[in-house]
Amino acid sequence: MEEAPRFFGHYNLLFIGEALVNTLLLSWLGATLGFGFGFLFAICRHPRLFGLLPLRIAATLYVELFRRIPFLVKLMCVFFAFQLSGAQASLFTVALVTVVLSAAAFAAEIARAGLESIPAPQWDAAEAMNFGRWRTLWRVVAPQSFRIVLPPLFGYTVGFIKSTSIASQIGVMELTYAAKILNTRGFSALLCFGTILLLYFLICWPTKHFGERLERRLARR
Amino acid sequence: MSYTLIYSQVTGHIPYLLAGAWLTLQLACISFFIGWAIGLVNASLLVYGPRPARLAVRAYVTFFINTPLLVQIFFIFFVLPDMGILLSPYAAVAIGMSLNAGAYLTEIQRAGFGSLRRAEMDAAAAMGFSLVQTIWYVVLPHIAKALYPPLANQFIIQVMTTSIAAIFAVEELTGRAYNVNSLTFRALEVFSITAVIYVLLTIACSLALALLGRWLFRVNAKVF
Repeated sequence: MEEAPRFFGHYNLLFIGEALVNTLLLSWLGATLGFGFGFLFAICRHPRLFGLLPLRIAATLYVELFRRIPFLVKLMCVFFAFQLSGAQASLFTVALVTVVLSAAAFAAEIARAGLESIPAPQWDAAEAMNFGRWRTLWRVVAPQSFRIVLPPLFGYTVGFIKSTSIASQIGVMELTYAAKILNTRGFSALLCFGTILLLYFLICWPTKHFGERLERRLARR
Repeated sequence: MSYTLIYSQVTGHIPYLLAGAWLTLQLACISFFIGWAIGLVNASLLVYGPRPARLAVRAYVTFFINTPLLVQIFFIFFVLPDMGILLSPYAAVAIGMSLNAGAYLTEIQRAGFGSLRRAEMDAAAAMGFSLVQTIWYVVLPHIAKALYPPLANQFIIQVMTTSIAAIFAVEELTGRAYNVNSLTFRALEVFSITAVIYVLLTIACSLALALLGRWLFRVNAKVF
């Protein structure tokens, strides 16, 4: 504990701050992009929007497979795929691609639950009003499914904030990796990992709490 | 530069990988059942316990749900030795995963307890059921039905999380994939095969759990 003042020195704080920014960037950017792709998958799987069976099967297969592979294994596959294809990509990009790939699969399920929460008669009614299918999606279904989709997205984002800690395995400069480096520089494990745990908690808890409050508020309406 | 996938050098190692899958299942079972016991105690405390106990359980659950499992295990693995408790990697991973699962299973089981309705208990009392009969014929079937699907889901999550043990050199499925990779240098082949094994393993677990649930509790658990 006597090394605490030295641990919280200027350069260490900058170092941890930079790692914190990387963690946030990786998880938020990954979750956002992943949601975009996941929404596309959900659209592909919706029988009212795409009649194409192969497309639906492909989207379903992707979602089911990628939710059943551990993050670490996905990370290793993406990491070596980049390395062996000879593409020049930073470690951050590798981790981001992994987060997007797995986020897309999880977001697809959330988006699907949202789209399916709108009863079929609304589609029929929109059709009777001469709405096209895309216009129905954009003007009728999407605005209403918003209430179902929004709350779980917070828990989903928290899940990826936690998953990005695994990206330390390939050496991405995020919080967990920063803790490992500080630990090897000779600071006590208690201080390094304790600080990081606290930081993760401070990011995740408010996010999750806000999501739960939002869920209750939207459910009441 | 292009890379050709050559699986022939890796296929010989598949039995070795599958033996690792056995350890994966073992670790998942240990952490799931210890976590279940922790969750059961915690959920009972949340419903019937005194205020300080409830606060302590809340704090435990909130903390473990909102921090990454990997860092929790790092903490157990590197901090406890400073305090004189030396743990093997396997023990550290098992403890970390159990504590983590305990937090999630507390939440799940509390929701299950909450689903029990007062009217059902009153009806049982009106029919002259004793306490044991009420618990056996009314409470347990109801709770089992409500709890089984989320519990089965949590078990599948545990199977996938065990891959983190590889980081601590435990030779389960992912750990063995690392080993095969350093033997053959066929990284993409090894990890794609590992991914396929995980998919098959979790599908097999889902199927087995769905059948078990149908047989034991008449639950219609979904596989996909």
